[in-house]
Amino acid sequence: MMKESKALDVRNVAVAFDDKPVLKNINFTADKGEFIGIIGPNGAGKSTLLKCLRGLIPKTSGEVLFSGQSIHQLADKQLAGIVAYMQQGVNVSFGFSALEIVLTGRYPYLNWWQSESKDDYAIARKYMEFTGVSELEKVPVQNMSGGQRQRVLLAKVLTQETPIIFLDEPTASLDLLYQEEIFDHCKKICLDGKTVLIVAHDLKLAAKFCTRLILLTHGEVVADGLPQFVVTAENLEKTYGLHSAVFVNKVTGHLDIHTYAAATISTNPTVHIIGGGGTADQLLRHLHEKGYNLSIGVLQQGDTDADVAAAFGVESILSSAFTEFSLEAINSNKEKIAQAEMVILTNLCFGQLNLANLVAAFSAKQLIIIEDLPIEQRDFTQGAATKLYKKLVESSNVTVQTTTDFLEKT
Amino acid sequence: MSSGVIKKQILLGVMSIVLITMCAISISWGQVQVPIADTITILLKNMGITDTLQGVEQAEEAVIWHIRTPRVFIGVLTGAALGVSGAVMQGIFSNPLADPGIIGVSGGASLGAVLAVALGLSAQSLYYMPLFALGGALLAVGIILLLAMRKGEIPVMVLLLAGVTVSMFMGALTSGILTFMNENSIREFLFWTVGGLDNRRWEHVHLAAGPVIFGVIILCCMARHINVIVLGEEEARSVGVPVAKLRMGLLFLVTLTTATAVCVSGSIGFVGLIVPHIMRLLLGPDHRTLIPASGIAGALFLICCDLIGRMILPGSEIRVGIITSLVGAPYFLYLLHRMQKGALH
Repeated sequence: MMKESKALDVRNVAVAFDDKPVLKNINFTADKGEFIGIIGPNGAGKSTLLKCLRGLIPKTSGEVLFSGQSIHQLADKQLAGIVAYMQQGVNVSFGFSALEIVLTGRYPYLNWWQSESKDDYAIARKYMEFTGVSELEKVPVQNMSGGQRQRVLLAKVLTQETPIIFLDEPTASLDLLYQEEIFDHCKKICLDGKTVLIVAHDLKLAAKFCTRLILLTHGEVVADGLPQFVVTAENLEKTYGLHSAVFVNKVTGHLDIHTYAAATISTNPTVHIIGGGGTADQLLRHLHEKGYNLSIGVLQQGDTDADVAAAFGVESILSSAFTEFSLEAINSNKEKIAQAEMVILTNLCFGQLNLANLVAAFSAKQLIIIEDLPIEQRDFTQGAATKLYKKLVESSNVTVQTTTDFLEKT
Repeated sequence: MSSGVIKKQILLGVMSIVLITMCAISISWGQVQVPIADTITILLKNMGITDTLQGVEQAEEAVIWHIRTPRVFIGVLTGAALGVSGAVMQGIFSNPLADPGIIGVSGGASLGAVLAVALGLSAQSLYYMPLFALGGALLAVGIILLLAMRKGEIPVMVLLLAGVTVSMFMGALTSGILTFMNENSIREFLFWTVGGLDNRRWEHVHLAAGPVIFGVIILCCMARHINVIVLGEEEARSVGVPVAKLRMGLLFLVTLTTATAVCVSGSIGFVGLIVPHIMRLLLGPDHRTLIPASGIAGALFLICCDLIGRMILPGSEIRVGIITSLVGAPYFLYLLHRMQKGALH
């Protein structure tokens, strides 16, 4: 009974506008220090969820508890001392200055007859410094750029000094730099033990900064958990109707998303690619997006082609790096080649380690050789590869094309 | 706190001094010219501060104390009420074009006044017309609020539309009653629709002083809350402002204050609209200075307009409601023009 209650506990919450359900059966809890991104396509109910949890719109059923206390037991000001809420696209009229706006965050702590004290001013200025808008104190908010305004409003929300903070698309219409900055501020706030719920449009940013994501669609929670388990190709297809590849970008180290239009062919012919060293990425992307049923091999572990294949969910036959291919890998590669309706040999460089790939190409029923550079320039086996290659080219079931030709025709 | 606040306080102080000076001038100036020194002697004696009336004629005392002083008092009360109410209305609706008229105060008061005339009550006691006007104003605002209320909330747009509609409806009733009245009664009513400060007596001051002073003081005290409400309903609620309740309370106070003012002076246009505007341009949007400043400036504006109305035509006077509209309308159009250019929001 006396177990420490969750900062936020949402139980079976539902919301309907004019009998049209907008949120259904929402259940989740949030702990101190969590930075939760609420993502989902337009109209999924993200903003409605925040407003409902903040008590700004009535729910049709369910319960919302803050540290074990029902939202209905809390008076207006008490609630404002627990949750701060930054709404989407605030329109500040009448020329109020930044400091005046930020000071409104102290409202819950003042009696109705009181004015803000020196301490209130100090608190407001502290958070304006944190979000980097100190020098804008006297500037009317309506004269500010979008980035400055959002940082002023963030300072206001922080000035409310609540354990829980709701932000409804604070980065909408901001430049990339400012978007990152807002997320970065939030991350710091969470490290101080606050709980932040943010409605985010940008999946990459949300995945990069948030400790947890909640994916909504049609008013229901589809996925809830660590970013890498929520932002998956399958979930994106289900909710956004997007065809995508989700992968860890090796340059940034963060989740990245590549999206494309739906497949154009319906027969899904099987194609095996013999590639490696980055020679296959373009082909993989192109053929996968067209809807071909792909496999690739043999690749060394850590090869960029292997990463691309993984991102698209293409089966790849792997072997450890810097040694000759394992017998097992060579055999399964041959098997795939024999089964495939079409095999593509990319514009590979050949050395002792991957010569087996060239040999395997002989088992193909139908072979397309991509040749952007003459084999002599790609041969690092003192002629052995060239000899094999020339023999291969002469076979009857083989066509030779450049990458450009191939991509245009297929 | 900062130099800005001190500057604002100085400006408020200067405005108060100018207001008091203008009041003194307004009392001493007129068809019967009374020197300022004598005016002050009469005022001090009648306020019970001194008890001599050396060298002052009795007729002068009557003019100063029984005609001009209540006139100026009514002017100050009405001007302050309209200025303060205008500032508050613009604040709670986050709309720079709002004024008490749009929630039906004038329309309701007119209907009440015309009823008092039609029933012949206005001839019996001078209290009847103001009380009927007050009742009409409160009734109109009440109906509008009931119409606009949705689940305990008042959407601003609905309120404005309901206000316009009910005002027009009451206007139609007023005109309808007017068609059945004789010429004398129509004159009496028309006299009321164009607000004026002439023939106001101490009875009027006693009637209006309580509610207006009470309303103005409370509204000034609520300034910080209005600062938050201006930012919009959701923004205000998210910092814990009980927006719906507060808005209702403020609307009630605004109605009480303006209806009381209107009922003793007749309807006076544009004060509630342009005075808060000018003050906002001068002092910024903070209602803690804006509201009291609008009160002082409203009183000053009305006293000056009244003085102009008495000065322009020797031998007769132009009613103050005409002067305020003549001065206010062009200025308001100028504001609209600036707003179209995006200089105001």
